[in-house]
Amino acid sequence: MRTFRRRLLALLARRPGLEAASLLAPGTLWLLAFFAVPMLLMLAASFMPRGMYGGVDPGFTLEHYRRFLDPLYLQVLGRTVVWAGAATVACLLLGYPVAWVISRSRHRGLLLFLIVLPFWTSFLVRTFAMIFLLRDTGLVNSLLLRVGLISQPMTLLYTPFAVLLGLVYGFLPFMVLPIYASLEKLDPSLLEAALVLGARPRARFFTVTLPLSLPGVIAGCLLVFVPALGSFITSDLLGGAKQVMIGNLVQNQFTSARNWPFGSAVSFALMALVLVTVMASLRLRDRPSGEVTR
Amino acid sequence: MTRRVSRGALLVTGAVYLFLHLPVLVLAIFSVNASRYSVAWTGFTLDWYRKLAGRADLLRGLRASLIVGSVSTAVATVFGTLLALALARNRFRTRRAIEGFLYLPIVTPEIVVGISLLVLFVLLRVPLGLATITIAHIAFNIAFVAVVVRARLDGLDRSLEEAALMLGADELTAFRTVTVPQLWPGIIAGALLAFTTSFDDYVITSLVAGTGSSTLPVVVYGMVRRNVEPTVNAISTLILLVTSLLIWLAFRLTRERPLAAARG
Amino acid sequence: MAEGSFPISISRRDFLERTLGASLSVPALALLESCGRGRPAGPRAGSTELGPLEPELNIYNWSDYIGPDVIPGFEKEFGVKVTYDTFESSEEMVAKLQAGATGYDLVVPPTYAVAVLLASGVLAPLSLKYLTNLGNISPLFRGLAHDPDNKFTVPWQWGMTGIAWRKDLVKAPPESWSVFLGREPRGKMTMLDDVRDVIGVFLRLRGHSINSTDPGELEAARQDAIAAKANLKAYLSAPVKAQLIAGDVWLAQLWNGDAAQARREQPALEWILPREGSTLWIDSLVVPKAAPHPRAAHEFINYILRPAIGAMVSAATGYGSPNQAAMPLLSDPVPYPSANELARLEIQKDLGRASGLWDEIWTQIKSA
Repeated sequence: MRTFRRRLLALLARRPGLEAASLLAPGTLWLLAFFAVPMLLMLAASFMPRGMYGGVDPGFTLEHYRRFLDPLYLQVLGRTVVWAGAATVACLLLGYPVAWVISRSRHRGLLLFLIVLPFWTSFLVRTFAMIFLLRDTGLVNSLLLRVGLISQPMTLLYTPFAVLLGLVYGFLPFMVLPIYASLEKLDPSLLEAALVLGARPRARFFTVTLPLSLPGVIAGCLLVFVPALGSFITSDLLGGAKQVMIGNLVQNQFTSARNWPFGSAVSFALMALVLVTVMASLRLRDRPSGEVTR
Repeated sequence: MTRRVSRGALLVTGAVYLFLHLPVLVLAIFSVNASRYSVAWTGFTLDWYRKLAGRADLLRGLRASLIVGSVSTAVATVFGTLLALALARNRFRTRRAIEGFLYLPIVTPEIVVGISLLVLFVLLRVPLGLATITIAHIAFNIAFVAVVVRARLDGLDRSLEEAALMLGADELTAFRTVTVPQLWPGIIAGALLAFTTSFDDYVITSLVAGTGSSTLPVVVYGMVRRNVEPTVNAISTLILLVTSLLIWLAFRLTRERPLAAARG
Repeated sequence: MAEGSFPISISRRDFLERTLGASLSVPALALLESCGRGRPAGPRAGSTELGPLEPELNIYNWSDYIGPDVIPGFEKEFGVKVTYDTFESSEEMVAKLQAGATGYDLVVPPTYAVAVLLASGVLAPLSLKYLTNLGNISPLFRGLAHDPDNKFTVPWQWGMTGIAWRKDLVKAPPESWSVFLGREPRGKMTMLDDVRDVIGVFLRLRGHSINSTDPGELEAARQDAIAAKANLKAYLSAPVKAQLIAGDVWLAQLWNGDAAQARREQPALEWILPREGSTLWIDSLVVPKAAPHPRAAHEFINYILRPAIGAMVSAATGYGSPNQAAMPLLSDPVPYPSANELARLEIQKDLGRASGLWDEIWTQIKSA
């Protein structure tokens, strides 16, 4: 075993590129085989005419992409981006303090676990519990009525507020966990130094904590924004299905609309948008340090 | 070493935890409610838990979810961590592009991923079953783990690792004894995220599942949307209790080690 | 590639379309080929003679759509192990089968999906000699548009889409679909979250068919639907039952069986078929071509056709039984539609290419 190790390390030392390649290999190959290849099939399909009952007919066409440029569908995209953005901002404002508290706590294991625990119940069951809480005749309204804060039940359910609540509920750990991972290695002595040098709390946060936790913040924002773009079930269940998001649109194409190529085209348009956003964010993240510390 | 936290932050955190756990509490309470529809409290009962024992489909679904979840999380965590390391440690031209592509599995609507994988499996004549579900879950989980661990790797202090190398450790030992422990919170965070995503997945799973290989969400989906029978609440509460117990046990067992390491 | 450099003048775009079309049609044909073709083992479904009884059976149906004792009874009597897989959206089930998923012996699609599955080459004709109890099915449910020669389907359950309403909260019975266009009870009404059901209502309201593909008729329906949206609390399908019971929703577009189920817990709930007419839907049993256990599938269908078993299914689901021999065995059966009602009921047909137009309208309604 030792000689194998020695030979392996010698090999890696001789060929530096090999180390990168071998680390990359398993993950990338898997994603290539089970994500990229199926997606290429879908990409091909997006340039083909739709079959009468679903699937595709032979041929080549750009009509699906052209159709997506119709104001109706661009509006759907715009609405989805706004919602995803709102969810991200809300998660950031709520999640950052939580990640901070956990990283400074002695019981961080327990607190982390408690953040994640609600997600080991089924998403649907949780959402229905929220419906129960937010209904006109639900728990929140009943309590508020009993206490006398309101005289009529408030409409909480099937409103944008309920949808935002549901999105935040669903994506909060995606924001908290990366920020926590980033904050946890923040050296407290840096903050102490700032304190000693006379910096007020606000200055300490903006000049020490935030910049050092920026990679986690960016990762958290991307981990919320990106999947939120594709989400639609929360909007349907808590918003009363009164609006259509990109996720609904794509889902419909593969089901009742029987227009698989258009569904693919919309998905690829969405993916292109995300790729651009992510690359820009990564550039932002890499900018301050620039060089990889090696 | 001051660990002061502002009162504002504590307040927000408290509110967030309350907000997160209130629906869970509600669903636990309804698991012992006599009414079939979760509308009002009509009396205490353990009937729904008793019914669980007879619901072979729910128990089989749970078993399938646990198998798929743990296997896909384990594999994806390893692959994803390696991927994150490669991206953080090495400069090569396509680096940022690969990192960008990692986000695509996360954004692509599940029905597209599901249908495309199904078509692939059919073309390759791969029989549908738990294996195909696991394959699909590993794919999107690699992306989650890689992204989370990558965030952890940024700005990670290399000097400790370099010190170990200078002191004579070879690269693999340095990796194992210095880098991995530093990475550990990120890896755990990524693994937790991966497991919960896998455990809850419905659309992709239902499309690539074979006969008799339905996971818990697939079995539960219908029950919840059409009838919201409290049996579902019962199994969710049970899952919560069992995982809490397991994690608590794991926590107790691993807590001894830091002290022992310090001593020894 | 300069234009005109070919011996025959061909536009660049035309050339692009042809070569790309040719190169893409390879994977396309592969995709098409994969749709709906399987490789079953023994005697294939669709043959007049099927082999001996297999030891297993795979059913793909809605959840909670069968009585609790039906399957155990079948397993015991025939010695067959049954695997019951569920779907929650008939459209997702159709997409899955179209993409080529196999392994199921029995599937339960709605009427319009039968045409789609047939066109995709998924279904096999039934081997009628094994279905000795077929005579128990009422003639009302045979020879219908989706299967005129009764070659591919056996009806499972049937139902109607109407309006469920709380008689203690709503003054007058909602006898017309126009209730959704009116103000009362504003903010307490819901419609089903389904493109066919919503647009269908506004087509019927103006006397058109629920299968209309006429752009003029659809445009009128679209405007009505958008006008109605302002009066709706939400678009809800099955989950609306809990809201009706609690009183959050006073009036909902709903299927008769679900209304009957909810009435068990909320006696003030009523159900009515509006006078403009509505959808009669039928879920059917079909056998895919790639079914690995076709004989067991047919024995199961025959078993379901027994009066006692048919009654068991309907008693549990609350929906209508197409099995007229089972009707006397039910304590509170959904009565067959009268001639008057039948005249107002339509069966949903697949829309073919018009599904794209309907989807665009649905997107517009939801975006409004």
